[in-house]
Amino acid sequence: MNKALFSVIALSVLLVQSGCYKMRKSAGGGQIKTIPARTVNAGDIALPPGYKIEMVAQGLTFPSAAAFDNKGDLYVIETGYSYGEVWQYPKLLRINPGGGTTTIATGEKNGPWTGLYYHGGNFYVSEGGQAEGGKILKITPEGKISTLVADLPSIGDHHTDALVIKDGYIYFGQGTATNSGVVGPDNADYGWLKRHKDFHDIPCKDITLIGQNYTSDNVLTDDPNDQVTTGAFLPFGTASTPGQVIKGKVPCNGSIMRIPLAGGKPEMVAWGFRNPYGLAVSPEGTLYVAENGYDDRGSRPVWGAADVLYEVVPGKWYGWPDFSAGDNMSASPKKESEEYEAPGKGEVLPVIKDYPNIPPRPAAVFGVHSSSNGLDFSTSDAFGHKGELFAAQFGDMAPTVGKVLAPVGFKVVRVNTRNGVIHDFAVNRSKKNGPASWVGGSGLERPLSVKFTPDGSALYVVDFGILKMTKEGPEPQTGTGVIWKITRTN
Amino acid sequence: MTKFKLIIIAAILIGVNGLLPSCAIRKSEPITGKTVNTSDLHLRAGEVLYMTYCDKCHPSGEGGLGPALNSLNVPSFVKRFQVRHGLGVMPYFKKDQISKQDLRDISDYMKALKRL
Repeated sequence: MNKALFSVIALSVLLVQSGCYKMRKSAGGGQIKTIPARTVNAGDIALPPGYKIEMVAQGLTFPSAAAFDNKGDLYVIETGYSYGEVWQYPKLLRINPGGGTTTIATGEKNGPWTGLYYHGGNFYVSEGGQAEGGKILKITPEGKISTLVADLPSIGDHHTDALVIKDGYIYFGQGTATNSGVVGPDNADYGWLKRHKDFHDIPCKDITLIGQNYTSDNVLTDDPNDQVTTGAFLPFGTASTPGQVIKGKVPCNGSIMRIPLAGGKPEMVAWGFRNPYGLAVSPEGTLYVAENGYDDRGSRPVWGAADVLYEVVPGKWYGWPDFSAGDNMSASPKKESEEYEAPGKGEVLPVIKDYPNIPPRPAAVFGVHSSSNGLDFSTSDAFGHKGELFAAQFGDMAPTVGKVLAPVGFKVVRVNTRNGVIHDFAVNRSKKNGPASWVGGSGLERPLSVKFTPDGSALYVVDFGILKMTKEGPEPQTGTGVIWKITRTN
Repeated sequence: MTKFKLIIIAAILIGVNGLLPSCAIRKSEPITGKTVNTSDLHLRAGEVLYMTYCDKCHPSGEGGLGPALNSLNVPSFVKRFQVRHGLGVMPYFKKDQISKQDLRDISDYMKALKRL
């Protein structure tokens, strides 16, 4: 009896302490009142014992990836585009000793440039394609740019993502147009819906719809009372019908595709992803992908969806838009589905009939809204953690992706891909986790990718820079990108 | 134990949790210089289970989508009760998903993490 009473009291304490979730304000890492100048101090970054970090270059604008040529020289790409719709010219830069840069190539305003890979004397770049569709580019050391494939379906929320080269092929991720399959007012907030009114997600293979539709404000007219009804995999304002078949085709959204090194028609490797941003090949030759999970936004919001790491199994469907991390979001009985219901917004209803396969389970589960992106494997005892996968976490974009109670991400983590255990590796030295602009100090802002040197002895971290977030959306800050280098001290 | 004493303990818990500055929330390796020693089988299992079910909302026991756990000063059986029954927006996990032993292993791992 006393234990029962005590439990009631203690639970009441928990309830008071945790508060009503809906009442609590979002406290994401981008939700800063004022934007500080970017200052840099490696001493403000904490690492495990035996490691040190130093700044290599600063003052970059939206850097996203790094690579090394066969002489060991460091190259970095600047995206040329950021959410919040800042358009610039993307660039391939060589980082010189002392931190200065030499521009090797300048692209068209069709960013973001998301991935960089050096192979066989040339650079290969993923052009995100927000303006005209995604591309894979080849850039010679002299800066000559040629297109290996174009017209990838990238003009929506997510883009043509990072690439790796394996077995004579270029593998790359292709993100989805929407959050969870349904074009809605949130896509106008991203900027593209008014430019491309008919764009929608394209599946890699034929799918049959249940006919679930969603009513929203019509953001394409000025009439505040105008509403439309939209189905999954269809243009804004087009409803679906039960049994409707959406034809699949390649290139497709939410997929990993590949093209031959010399260029050519893309072929699907795997599909059913949401935003398969980061790719890496393990020392054993297995392809891994970091996928950004659903947001709590739009016509079909999803709550509590983690970013995940998957081993890529060719031919498999990974569950988007009805599954998250291998969980059926609309399962019956309702246990799994309740986990993904956005508070106050109702259950996530399925949109696809007859799933192609049971989706694989993830190899590791990252934080919700952590934006776990660029990956690389440690291959050398000289650095340590040989065989573990390092991941850059860009950090949450709350409140537009959904509310968080504390900043998520803004760090580099290491992952044991055999058992899914994740440990922090580089974080800001502060009482709470978060970017330097939120916690104070001059450490990390938003790590976007990581890259080991060819000999595996050093890990470079590409830090995008300051990105303020408000209810109206992102406010990225030019000239605040930094490149860091982590090495062993002994 | 009298009801009066229980109320006093609850009030102290409220004070510790809500009114005083939190105890150190961050327990990850870059901050503490250590990781949980998983040479014990149950702690090793607990760590893997925590990563599977808990870490996405409470990364490294810190706040994220959910609140921080490392600074939560309530008895373990209360936390296990919450895992089984949910609380607010937190989902519940029944025995067919997290067995009794699994839950004890998660609980032991969380205690070991707090002690870092």
